[in-house]
Amino acid sequence: MTDSLALRPPARPAGGPGAPGLPRLLPASGAVPVDLRSHLARHGPPRYPGGPGRLLAEVAAAGLTGRGGGAFPVARKLAAAAEARPPPLVIGNGAEGEPASSKDKSLLWISPHLVLDGLQLAAAAAGSAAAVLYVQRNQRLHGQLAEAIAERAAAGIDAARVELAPAPDRFLAGEESALVSRLTGKPALPAYRPVRGLPRLAPGRTALVQNVETLAHLALIARYGAAWFRLAGTETEPGSMIATLHLADGRMSVAEVPLGTGLADLLGLDPVHHSGAADPGGGIVASASGPVQAVLVGGYHGAWLPAAEAARLPLANAALRPLGAAVGAGVVAALPAGRCGLAETARVARYLALESAGQCGPCFNGLPRIAAALDHLAGPRPDRRARADLERWAGLVTERGACHHPDGSVRFIRSALRVFAAEAGLHERGRCTGTGARPFLPLPAGRPATDADWS
Amino acid sequence: MTGITHTTALWYASRATGVVTMLLLTAVLLLGILVNRQGRLPGLPSFAVTGLHRNISLLAVAFLAIHVITAIVDPYVTIGLAAAVLPFASAYKPFWLGLGAISLDLVAALIVTSLARGRMGRRAWRGIHWLAYAAWPLAVVHSLGSSSDAHGGLVLGVLAGCVLAVAAALAWRLSGAAREVPRAGRAAATLSRMSARKADL
Repeated sequence: MTDSLALRPPARPAGGPGAPGLPRLLPASGAVPVDLRSHLARHGPPRYPGGPGRLLAEVAAAGLTGRGGGAFPVARKLAAAAEARPPPLVIGNGAEGEPASSKDKSLLWISPHLVLDGLQLAAAAAGSAAAVLYVQRNQRLHGQLAEAIAERAAAGIDAARVELAPAPDRFLAGEESALVSRLTGKPALPAYRPVRGLPRLAPGRTALVQNVETLAHLALIARYGAAWFRLAGTETEPGSMIATLHLADGRMSVAEVPLGTGLADLLGLDPVHHSGAADPGGGIVASASGPVQAVLVGGYHGAWLPAAEAARLPLANAALRPLGAAVGAGVVAALPAGRCGLAETARVARYLALESAGQCGPCFNGLPRIAAALDHLAGPRPDRRARADLERWAGLVTERGACHHPDGSVRFIRSALRVFAAEAGLHERGRCTGTGARPFLPLPAGRPATDADWS
Repeated sequence: MTGITHTTALWYASRATGVVTMLLLTAVLLLGILVNRQGRLPGLPSFAVTGLHRNISLLAVAFLAIHVITAIVDPYVTIGLAAAVLPFASAYKPFWLGLGAISLDLVAALIVTSLARGRMGRRAWRGIHWLAYAAWPLAVVHSLGSSSDAHGGLVLGVLAGCVLAVAAALAWRLSGAAREVPRAGRAAATLSRMSARKADL
């Protein structure tokens, strides 16, 4: 611990109460890419304190978990990677197929060198001389990353050779088995994962896959130590994470926040003042960016929560998991009053159905059927059996896919049936609270979307 | 109930459950072919066909278990536990019972690998699942050879019906009639079918 304490933590003012040194991964202001020189000026050269074994102990003490959505303990993956023979290929996962999330793209754009430091540290821990950065196909981002990699190579600070690999722009492209499939030259389709442990690229060749934000945290833990990392976050979920926030007025922001921050703080919710707006469910909450009826936590595989309930909850799995929600990759969206939650969910459900890889029957047959029924429910005077049908079909597709796509999609849809039950009742009587024609939740352009505007 | 006494009850039970098992296994095979080709049954969502295939296969296992246990316990002919699992170890009709034992072992392998599907590779599971095409004909021949009922009448009719149904399903599968939808278009195809149906409402 002593040599890490000797290093200066990033000289930044505190980002807020209980958030020492935040933001850590992003510059305190501006969205200008940090080049190698300013990166080194702020953090110093990447350190491998006392060898890979030492890093492992530090990461375990820090309690860092994967920031790609799974929240898997990083130390356990690193330990498995250190034992694997031959050494696994280390892969930084920046595919970020989730349309509502922009945190990985922002991080790669603004702080590429933290991610590349982390990739080197992970490669050192695994004993690997090669690493891959898997990033969504985007020419500007790829160009800048290629430059950053070349800049580091010229400066001679990297031990492992880094290759840049393009990820297709699909929802499931970053799913671990899909990524592995893509990197072995096949389409990025998910596969059955037979055993727990590191995924296999080829017979006898494993891979260590970490989300790019996880790697950036790794780079800081190696420099400043576990105790510093734990200054932010909660006891069980330490550290910070980059969240993508969608505010009620339609603005989106990417912000690094300590885990355990109240959702009310993130979205500017004011749980004391209930809005006087038309309020069928009795749960509209005022916020700095307008009245909010519900909050989506964890993205399109996450869950809706009523705004009043969300306002009392922190961004932490310990509090969210019992309610069927999860932090996921840190997408939090405040659905404003005056939007139809069912129509929003139906649009996303249709997108999720079309993002099925078409491999498992329950997924490619079930999700479109569920999406069509939800579309029906989002319309005027839906059949009164529609809700029961949706619940039944949802039960038929869960835990029946090779990957978690059907389960995650159904979790999202079921939460909508719970949270927007009053709205569904209104629809059955031929009414709807939705007044805005513009869709709220972001979906990739150029893909089919249902016109759910029936007002 | 003439003819059924406390000594013959088990014998009848074994014969009856054997016939029912044959019918269920045939249904499982037909549904399996349907699942493989993404076929549909009227009035049933296509993903429910998979569920039906699974559930009927578990039901068939229950009947198969009763069929085997009653045959072993039945004092009328002596079939040991070993003969039920080990092929050709039986003193009574060793060849015909041996075919049944092989079929039983294959079915057991199918069920065990399917229950443990999450823990094994897809290719290995698929390879073992192909054994269904061996287990079913073995069961048919076992029924023909070992059953004293299969020389005519209803049981022979049932067997003939099963064989015809499977032959028809195989012909349907092997002919281009059951064409596979390309993977990328599957969800979109279902979605457009569902949307079209909704427009009819």
